[in-house]
Amino acid sequence: MSKRTLFAALVLTSALTGGAALAADPAVYKIGGIFAMTGASPHYGKVMSAGAQLAVDEINAQGGIDGIKLQLVIEDHKSGSAQAAVAGMNRLIDVEGVKAVLPSFSTVTLATMPIGDQKKVMMINGGGVSAQTVGTSPYMFNIRSMASDLAAGIAHRAAEQGAKKLAQIAIKSEFGDATIAATTKAWEGMGLKMVAAEQFQADAANIDTQVAKLRASQPDAIANWPTTPQAGLAVKRMRELGMKQPVYCMEWTAEDTKVAGKHAEGVEVVTDYFAATDENPWSKRFADAYKAKFGEMPDFYAANYYEGVYVVAELIRRAKAKGGDYYSGERLVQALWENPTFDSVYGKTLTFRKNGVAQKPVAVFRLENGEQTFVKFTSGD
Amino acid sequence: MDLLIQLTLNGLFNGAHFALLAMGFALIFGTTGVVHFAYGPVYAVGAYAIWALAALAGLPFWAAVLLGIAFTAALGVSCYLFIYRPFEISGSPPFVVLVASLGLFIVMKNLIGIVFGTGVKTVDSVAYDVHFVGNAFFTTVQLGQVAAALLVGCGIALFLRASRYGKAIRAMADNREMATVIGIDTTRLSILVFALGSAVSAVAGALVLLRDGLNPNMGFGAVFVAFVAVIVGGVGSLRGAVIAAFLLAFVQSLGMWQIPTEWQNTIVFVVLFGFLLARPSGIVRRA
Repeated sequence: MSKRTLFAALVLTSALTGGAALAADPAVYKIGGIFAMTGASPHYGKVMSAGAQLAVDEINAQGGIDGIKLQLVIEDHKSGSAQAAVAGMNRLIDVEGVKAVLPSFSTVTLATMPIGDQKKVMMINGGGVSAQTVGTSPYMFNIRSMASDLAAGIAHRAAEQGAKKLAQIAIKSEFGDATIAATTKAWEGMGLKMVAAEQFQADAANIDTQVAKLRASQPDAIANWPTTPQAGLAVKRMRELGMKQPVYCMEWTAEDTKVAGKHAEGVEVVTDYFAATDENPWSKRFADAYKAKFGEMPDFYAANYYEGVYVVAELIRRAKAKGGDYYSGERLVQALWENPTFDSVYGKTLTFRKNGVAQKPVAVFRLENGEQTFVKFTSGD
Repeated sequence: MDLLIQLTLNGLFNGAHFALLAMGFALIFGTTGVVHFAYGPVYAVGAYAIWALAALAGLPFWAAVLLGIAFTAALGVSCYLFIYRPFEISGSPPFVVLVASLGLFIVMKNLIGIVFGTGVKTVDSVAYDVHFVGNAFFTTVQLGQVAAALLVGCGIALFLRASRYGKAIRAMADNREMATVIGIDTTRLSILVFALGSAVSAVAGALVLLRDGLNPNMGFGAVFVAFVAVIVGGVGSLRGAVIAAFLLAFVQSLGMWQIPTEWQNTIVFVVLFGFLLARPSGIVRRA
């Protein structure tokens, strides 16, 4: 055997065995986040990135994954720009080499999902609620309740409080369209009447016309679907125009309370239930660490993205334990379906259902003195 | 019928807000020819300044408004002197100034987020009442918008017709070169219209602060509406800009009477495109 042949054999052997295993270990595990860092709704980007970063910091402080650190790489979708999101997604995959991405907002998740599917990158959404993100890609997972779940929960809540006629208001977006459709289906499915569905542009500050039409439809209750800060603005306008009907929201932030002021009182929010309690030590530890670092209590969005990072880290750990070229989207997805149950900061565990959506507790909260007070757990079933 | 009355009232109040914005923009654009897109963030910064003076410094709201108006006027003048004026001196073509104004728009908008944060700003110290006409409602702030539009509009009209500076501004708006030839100091007048136009935008900003609260993106919608109103009204005509501002607001509001509100922006521009096709020089044609 000549020296050249021997060298070639060594290179080939190395590549097929140990060399490949060594090459599969990256210097750092990069996790992508596509958040609303600027634009009309930067509040979401702030809390989502804060939650995700806190998880990364905690995992790294404990030595990372077998000594390899995590790194969160954030791209800004400017509060829903599909163009910015697609550019960010491509950069995360092609330049940063991420194998898992945490998108946010329905529009953004839908715009980036085909790229994740094509390039086999795992995606875990903790913000958008569009039903269109469900069951369309094997790489797409949702770690929050979808619009259909929340809409059904709200429809049941409004009905149990005696409403017969419901009116809706939403932003003109994929999120708004999906929510209006889901609520109409749930409400009319109970044999009740939907009397109005008004929509407005995402950056609109003036929604007087929409509110006037809501009022004219004389509903018994109002489903208020805009996100922050227009959720608060809509409530303020409705109350100023003399509308005293119960208002139900899918989410509500401190920003909304600030905008709505005294009119926020009594608004009900039906959403994922996250509460830091002594019965759930992880939730308490997370909330304390979040408050210490960012100066405010975390909301469920922060919890979702915090949890999302832990899920990805656990998947990397599981895939790595199985050996081979483990660091890929395919292997992460495979590791998830081998055991779709994970520890949850919401309490106990979360389990991904067959459609890729994690089951989360949904509850009714009522705004009292500016704070969300737990009323009851609910279900759209 | 109740809905129609409510939508009419909404059109009136929104029209007053649009008219204030359009008057300020028209004054600057019509006189200097500068497409001052940074008018949007100047208006926003003015409103934020009023918020800071009222909510952070604890000044009475009326004092915060007065100081905020003065600050906004100074900011507008600074835009002219430090950004647009150097291009004028170097004889740059108008599109260069346009690009500079867009750049300034982005810089100022981002600065608002950095300096004031990206959250919504509101003022809690000012309470206002709700009034009704039959079954239709409106607030004291909305009445204030109409009153402000009337007062500012009449004040500017009087100033332009009766004062020496006002006549000079009209002459400059009509023919800048001729105005220079007959000895009018066009630089001084440009400073004046930037100050006046920006001050008017601060009045609109103060009322929006009370009505809707502030966010860093509020400037885009403002300059967009003002620009469209000036073009539809007829460039150089303050009266045209005001009429167009109300037209825009009424179409936005009344157009939704029987049409789903998701079409609000679309129907406005369909109507306006149609109007411009029929009357390309705008509502008020200049002689």
